[in-house]
Amino acid sequence: MTAAIELRGVVKHYGETRALGGIDLTVDAGRIFGFLGPNGAGKTTAIRILLDLIRPDEGSAFVMGFNCQRESVQVRKRVGYLAGDLRLYEGMRGNEFLNYIDSFRPEKKDATYRDALCERLGLDPTKRIRALSKGNRQKLGVVQALMHRPEVLILDEPTSGLDPLVQDEVVRLLEEAVSEGRTVFFSSHVLPEVERISQSVAFIRQGELIAVEDVAALKSRNVHVLEVTFSAPPPPSLFALPGLKELHRDGSTVRVQAQDGVDAVIKACATQTVIDLRTEQPSLEDVFLAYYTGDGPTGAHDERREARRASA
Amino acid sequence: MQARSIFTKALFDQKMQILGFGLTLAVIAAMDVYIWPSYRDTLQNFEIPPAFEALLGGDLNLATAPGFLSAEFYSWIPILLLVYAVIQGTGAIAGEESGGTMDLVLAQPVTRRSFVLQRIAATILASVLIIAIGYTGWLVSVPFVDIDVTLWDVFLANVNLLPITLLFFALSLAAGAIAPTRGMAVAVTVGIATATFFMQTLAATVDVLEPLRYLSPFYYYGNGQPLVDGLNWAHVALLTGISCGLAIVAVRTFEERDVSVGGASDLTLAAMLRRTFATRTGT
Repeated sequence: MTAAIELRGVVKHYGETRALGGIDLTVDAGRIFGFLGPNGAGKTTAIRILLDLIRPDEGSAFVMGFNCQRESVQVRKRVGYLAGDLRLYEGMRGNEFLNYIDSFRPEKKDATYRDALCERLGLDPTKRIRALSKGNRQKLGVVQALMHRPEVLILDEPTSGLDPLVQDEVVRLLEEAVSEGRTVFFSSHVLPEVERISQSVAFIRQGELIAVEDVAALKSRNVHVLEVTFSAPPPPSLFALPGLKELHRDGSTVRVQAQDGVDAVIKACATQTVIDLRTEQPSLEDVFLAYYTGDGPTGAHDERREARRASA
Repeated sequence: MQARSIFTKALFDQKMQILGFGLTLAVIAAMDVYIWPSYRDTLQNFEIPPAFEALLGGDLNLATAPGFLSAEFYSWIPILLLVYAVIQGTGAIAGEESGGTMDLVLAQPVTRRSFVLQRIAATILASVLIIAIGYTGWLVSVPFVDIDVTLWDVFLANVNLLPITLLFFALSLAAGAIAPTRGMAVAVTVGIATATFFMQTLAATVDVLEPLRYLSPFYYYGNGQPLVDGLNWAHVALLTGISCGLAIVAVRTFEERDVSVGGASDLTLAAMLRRTFATRTGT
């Protein structure tokens, strides 16, 4: 399988700030690939390097085998791009804007498909952009990225600002693109969205690629979250188990994540009197957070969960 | 009318400016010609202090029609065209970045060089159109007034407006490619234009400053009196050459650097003030 997108040791600094610290990433052609990470993790930086809007300090990037810096026009011929911070020409009408974007690839102009896209997303392209809501601007951005049926779609937060029904339609459009053998690379900071849409996912944090995984494989991983209350302090042997991660401890109650099934955990717990035991089916979020070392984000996530439980 | 390329879009986007600046030039020119007969007699016995004369553009004989029109029109019209040039020059690169739309265009299969060259071509054509519309002011006045200038003299003097306009366009284009924000690019260009304008006029009156006038583009513009001295092709070539040099600087700089998204630069005034403040308080 050929690589649609490839990043090799890409480093990027903004002044003193390191935005990307040596990213290696391969996206296979014909896949929906989610690029996941919190805001400010470096997703947009990596995407803008692919389009040669910014240049890496080290390393190189390729799209469909073309070097993003040296052959950037060849790259952009094959790419449909939606910017994360989408800005449009306020004075133009939607149609005028789409004609302008079409003018860069006259050979790929397909008015029928373009009109169909507008209709499916519920966008009126005769209106002036100035008069469009945030959601309608985003629809226009999606249409201009998709309308020439590019080989590779690079979309920075594509569903941002769209209501759920339109989001679903965008997802269907992306799935159609992939069914035609095209590649979708999109960024998101919303995990359930990535979980739902993508086939593969890369997780980026503070400019470092934490993990690249197959979503199906991730979901099938035998990860469990258990909350156990003991009659006395929990047995130390429990925490010595391989693949076990302590999420929270409050007196004799512990919350742990087991990455390799629950059997060993149950047996270790059973060496002491167990008062209560709860297990949860982990979300992709939990699976992913298993990659974290036990600092900030895990704790914060745990607190969020606590808050959700308290309010429920 | 619809935009079919970067060039046509840039041209359509400034259609109101072309019309506005062009008609302003035309109206001022026609007014100057029509008031000439009533001024002529008054000015004939009028002594103008040399310093004041220099500010109006050099050793002009205001009692002659070419001298009068040079002082009343050609000596300051470049300042008006400068406003247009700075709007376009800083708009082409810095403006499109500040507006955040540069990402949209440069994500298309077009090189940065082609983008800038198309914007330059659009502005050259628009400048020619502005000056051509301005020329209609002379066409509707000179033949109907007893005035000692020909439409050909005025045509050449109008042609002479183009190089200085394009010079300030190229300067602000380069400033927009180098400076992190459009505001800073405007400030730099207007600063240079104002300084060189007064340098030229002061150098004409103060002997010690005389050599400085050769540093001012307004000197090569022809001292504001092409109607008196005729068109100096060497000066036209020099201004055009400098403009080309500045355009190359603009293209090269923009090709080499990162494209910024509106307001993303940390060189904003707010950020600079923050840094200054942080240094002073030692935090």
